[in-house]
Amino acid sequence: MATVKMDPVTRIEGHLGVTMETKDITTSTGTWTVVDKAYSHTNLFRGWEIILKGRDPRDAFFLTQRICGVCPAPHGETAIQALDHAYGMTPPPAAILARNILHGAYYVYDHMIHTYLLIGPELGVLAKYPPMVPPALGKDGIKALGLGSSYAACIQMQRKANKVVALWGGKFPHHTSEYPSGMTVKPTLDRIANTISNMTELWDFVVNVMVPDFMAIVSKNDHIAETVSTLLDIDFNGLQDLGPTYGNFLSYGLFPDYNDYDKWVAVQDGEEGYRDNALIKAGAWDGDFKKFTHTKIKEYVKYSRYDDSITGRHPSQGDVKVVKDKPGAYGWMKAPRYEDKVYEVGPLARMINTYGLNWKIDVTNPVTGESFTFKWKVLNPKGSVVDRVAARVAQTVLFATKTMEWAVELKQFMHDDIVNAKIPDYSYVPDNAEGMGLWDAPRGALLHYTKIRNKKIDHYQCIVPSTWNLGPRDDMGQPGPVEKALEGTWLPKLDVPTVANALYPEKDIDASAFGLGTVSWGDALAAALTPLGLAQLNMEEGGYNTSLAITVVRSFDPCIACGVHFIIK
Amino acid sequence: MEIKPKLTRRNFMKLAAAMGATAFLTTYKSEIVEAVEQSKDYWHINWLNGAACTGCTVSFAQASEPDLVQILTEITVGNSGLPIALPDYMETIHPASGKLAEKLKDERWVNGTPGKRVLIVEGAVQQEGFCTIAGKDFRDHLKEAAEVADAIIAVGQCATYGGIPAAKPNPTGAMGVSDFLKEVGINKPVINIPLCPVHPDHLVLTIAAVMIGAMPDLDNYGRPKAFFGKNMHDEICPYRPYYDRGVFTRRPGEEGCRYVMGCKGPITWTDCALRKWNMHTSYCVETNMCLGCSEPGWPDKFSPFYKPVASLPAVLGVDFGTLGQGLLGAAAAGIVIHGVKRAVTSGKKEEKEE
Repeated sequence: MATVKMDPVTRIEGHLGVTMETKDITTSTGTWTVVDKAYSHTNLFRGWEIILKGRDPRDAFFLTQRICGVCPAPHGETAIQALDHAYGMTPPPAAILARNILHGAYYVYDHMIHTYLLIGPELGVLAKYPPMVPPALGKDGIKALGLGSSYAACIQMQRKANKVVALWGGKFPHHTSEYPSGMTVKPTLDRIANTISNMTELWDFVVNVMVPDFMAIVSKNDHIAETVSTLLDIDFNGLQDLGPTYGNFLSYGLFPDYNDYDKWVAVQDGEEGYRDNALIKAGAWDGDFKKFTHTKIKEYVKYSRYDDSITGRHPSQGDVKVVKDKPGAYGWMKAPRYEDKVYEVGPLARMINTYGLNWKIDVTNPVTGESFTFKWKVLNPKGSVVDRVAARVAQTVLFATKTMEWAVELKQFMHDDIVNAKIPDYSYVPDNAEGMGLWDAPRGALLHYTKIRNKKIDHYQCIVPSTWNLGPRDDMGQPGPVEKALEGTWLPKLDVPTVANALYPEKDIDASAFGLGTVSWGDALAAALTPLGLAQLNMEEGGYNTSLAITVVRSFDPCIACGVHFIIK
Repeated sequence: MEIKPKLTRRNFMKLAAAMGATAFLTTYKSEIVEAVEQSKDYWHINWLNGAACTGCTVSFAQASEPDLVQILTEITVGNSGLPIALPDYMETIHPASGKLAEKLKDERWVNGTPGKRVLIVEGAVQQEGFCTIAGKDFRDHLKEAAEVADAIIAVGQCATYGGIPAAKPNPTGAMGVSDFLKEVGINKPVINIPLCPVHPDHLVLTIAAVMIGAMPDLDNYGRPKAFFGKNMHDEICPYRPYYDRGVFTRRPGEEGCRYVMGCKGPITWTDCALRKWNMHTSYCVETNMCLGCSEPGWPDKFSPFYKPVASLPAVLGVDFGTLGQGLLGAAAAGIVIHGVKRAVTSGKKEEKEE
């Protein structure tokens, strides 16, 4: 048994380290090392909640966005939903649509960035698919080998998505335009037209580049499965065997419908529900659709750096008593559980709670009239690297289309009120109230709870997606989703080019433009990586290649600043 | 064939010297890029994240003219083919992780060409024990990097002035980079590029200025004057005519000047209203109001956000010296000057300040 550390885990948000205890398995072809147990260490604490205490409740919309600069918009939205709830006022249709447009465009940026910049490089290497590998040979490499072509295109395109966010939010990251029970930005024809034209370009990219890129990766899956199975003499089905959790998936719902908004609010009130007229439904899938209620959420702290007396509480009763050197504790995150069970949150959870295990998404571009269908059958009902990426791609298709549809729809409400008519002016704040915001960030289910006393924040609590996915073991000893997902992952004692050559031994890459002649995939990668000092990419102490393990971690799109923000010293 | 006037690096440097850094930073953006392209040396960039939200990294990825793709793939050094600004270390986008990431920092950054090492810091610096990377406290990472850095750029509100982590009651003892360096006895200038997050133009232009050896002029808070020399309310606000006519937004959806609802433009110095964000699309005031995130003391001195900047008598009643940063005082002076001007020009017409 060895201990292998990955710290820092890069290409995520924030400061994360993962420790893996290994075990060896011996087959007819040799002895191979896999992960036995994994521990997720979250390594930054800022103390957001205590900073919020005593401030104007509306400041939370601005301040909580700064919990995370990758997913600021969902924090803002969830803070505003909590305030809507506390004010006891629902936003008018114009505001609901404008919010949906802003967040729809935001989602397109976020899922694209993750797919290409964060998890894409390892997938590109595994699938011998140059467009998703970073442009390590510059523009000449893009031209000659297509190396990084989609990666580079993604950087250009995600800016257009954020241009739409800026149209409705002033700027991105950290937009300014939401208000309790409404918006502060007016729908104008200019904003609507600009949104539709930018989204048309994005729709084209998503359907004609992003989806084919993903399918190109998937098309190599059987080959990867066969080669690895032969090499290790094990039964490996492909990327769907990487990173399974428990088969429990939690979603709070996303993109409400302005018709029958009461269904949305009922879940904030604590009722059981699906929010089934929202685009993405709420639910607590455990092999079948189950209604969700926030009253079943508790947070455990046995392995977190807090006093055991506060364990097992609902967020509205949440407390924090830090015990910095608590024996046995190994993280700053708590361990949130639903009905005391471990649930995965995130894109896959949203898709499964909305569509089950078979997805068929028919979309029509409202501008060009083009139709497109995205189909996916979940390959591993317990979740996997490839299913999580598929879920992001599916949602990018869906949200890019809906954002355009909402923009078209908003035209009819252009001259309506953009806040609830009961708001008299900017000076109004309720004296005493409490509110629950439930939204889904790209990384998963996001909860903000606010309690207002004498027009000021008395108590603020967030439970964020990465706390669900990257939190430590709970009081019952159940490993968190990422810890579970890493178990059984192969840690090859072979470097990245060697693995690439084992998967693709053929010499068929014309690298003559770089003075190399015709070479194999691994040799081409070595040529690109070595001058950048990256020949030992993903190799950790003991000579273990952590490419697969780090891909499992990245498939959850970790966001550590989000997860560890609320601890009071 | 397209005729493209070229400013050589040498000529460009002459021009920069003649005009002063402030003028060229705003005027000669494309020329700066060209000058950087002609630079012969590989520049080492070490991008450290402390108590950060990564918003500045994401903002950097929104850069245009040049955009990040150009920076990474096109602006290569001489004929080396190496991207000029592929960072030696940058947790959020770097291909390397774990041991290799830390090793590259030592091999490439610490042993990089002296005179060519730029340190960029995102996020606040906290007291010991709240932020660790690879088992080492962020404070030590920063101290070691700062010791070898030839230029230090602090990006965003947190790295410049402490930002929200340093807001009351500052639970982790957070501070900006320059305060931290003073505390540990490193006497090096820090270029502060605030805003929350950093504006990508500001950062790209500042990196370029450093690379071509043209240090920008800085104000008392370490900010390049070229970007932070203008008062949002007094000099560049497009909604200013509403203020002059006394038309104020008092409820979401109303047209008007945002002063009464709490806009911090009068006490904020930045070029947001001119430069705008996300490919010149918009900025905070267009969709709501200015929060004042370019200033030291943010957010505490600007929060609650939905509260008008202190009225004139209240501000005037305060001794400017005791305000510490002096910014509120300066803003008040700005409003006074404006008020006097209006009194003179509008003759008999009487208007009352809110």
